[in-house]
Amino acid sequence: MTVADIVSRAGIARNTFYENFRSKEDCFLATQEYAMTAALERVVAAAGDLGNWADRVRAGLTAFLEYVAEEPALARTCMVEALAAGPAAVERYEKSQQAFVSLFKLGRDVSPHGAALPETLEEAIIGGVFWIVYQRLAVSEVATIPELLPQLIEFALTPYLGAEAAREVATGDGGTVQSQARS
Amino acid sequence: MSDPANPPVDSPEYPPELARLPPGRHGLPREFVSHNQRERLIAGLAEAVAENGYAGTTIAHITRNAAVSRRTFYEHFGSKDECFIAAYDTVMAELRKRVGEAFDQQDEWPQAVRAGIGAMLEFLAAEPNLARLSMVEALVAGPVVVERYDAAIQSLVPYFAAGREGLPDDVLAGLSPTTEEALVGGMVSLISRRIFADRTEELESLLPDLVEFTLTPYLGSAEAAKVARAS
Repeated sequence: MTVADIVSRAGIARNTFYENFRSKEDCFLATQEYAMTAALERVVAAAGDLGNWADRVRAGLTAFLEYVAEEPALARTCMVEALAAGPAAVERYEKSQQAFVSLFKLGRDVSPHGAALPETLEEAIIGGVFWIVYQRLAVSEVATIPELLPQLIEFALTPYLGAEAAREVATGDGGTVQSQARS
Repeated sequence: MSDPANPPVDSPEYPPELARLPPGRHGLPREFVSHNQRERLIAGLAEAVAENGYAGTTIAHITRNAAVSRRTFYEHFGSKDECFIAAYDTVMAELRKRVGEAFDQQDEWPQAVRAGIGAMLEFLAAEPNLARLSMVEALVAGPVVVERYDAAIQSLVPYFAAGREGLPDDVLAGLSPTTEEALVGGMVSLISRRIFADRTEELESLLPDLVEFTLTPYLGSAEAAKVARAS
């Protein structure tokens, strides 16, 4: 891809491109930043208001996968091409993963064995979720992404709540799961 | 430095410096010297990439590190990309071999997983240049390498999938088909982040966390923690 490709797709003059971006790389980083911010806003809006942590995770992951399915080209930019776009882009990709960490960490408070969970658990869970989505985007299987939702919810919740309670949330009848997990 | 990407030449009684001699004058067969030059170029690339990144690495860096001529470089590789692919494949073959051997030496699956992850961390921690080449720079080295990187990571899936064998039906029913892929992705993400941040010295301390993380879906968190924290 060249700057010429970008300006021709955008229907703007080359001059206009350089008034806005220093280079193709600069434009790439701005696109990545834009898409990541949009995705995170959607996740926060979906997950923010719910009182129950497991429901928040479910809502957050749902919003995330919806965004990816709606904007596969942007998601590819953020999660596939970013990995081959140089250190600055990779760094931002890593940071976007970290944004999910705080949401997952709250699960330690509701987990019966929260204190004993490995320190790196959240990083590993989010790395796993991103990897699965990344693989589907890399091979252009965008259509299969929404089907992954129950599997990813279950994967993310199991370490905190145990497999059974995690499955209940994943399959959608987990309204009172948090209190069940506590007992 | 012990360098598994550039193992000692085929006949160990020859000191490696011998290979610096041009072919013909010392009676070494031509293909022996040639093979060794290739290995040296691969090691030279790994060193150059660690110093300059993939994008900043030039063929001059590689030939200088390998102490061979530019012409010799082009006898072995058509481009920097081609040399990188050869280096990547060499590193991954070594990593795969070590992980496979460590895994196979254990009778019980949970211990085999622990040994396999341990072997991977040990190799990457001992070889920071190769760790960076295979887990970080590979991602910026073009579509061919990225495809191989993806395949290499997915090739770890069967080690974990083996844990399904013999599980009670109710546990099996609860394991989604993407469990192994997610575990592998999570594990690699933890490892690459440390390498990316130049913190390879932390890699080996990840062992208990990674073992617990990967065994939990199969054994439950209490049993997984026991295997992970066993000395």
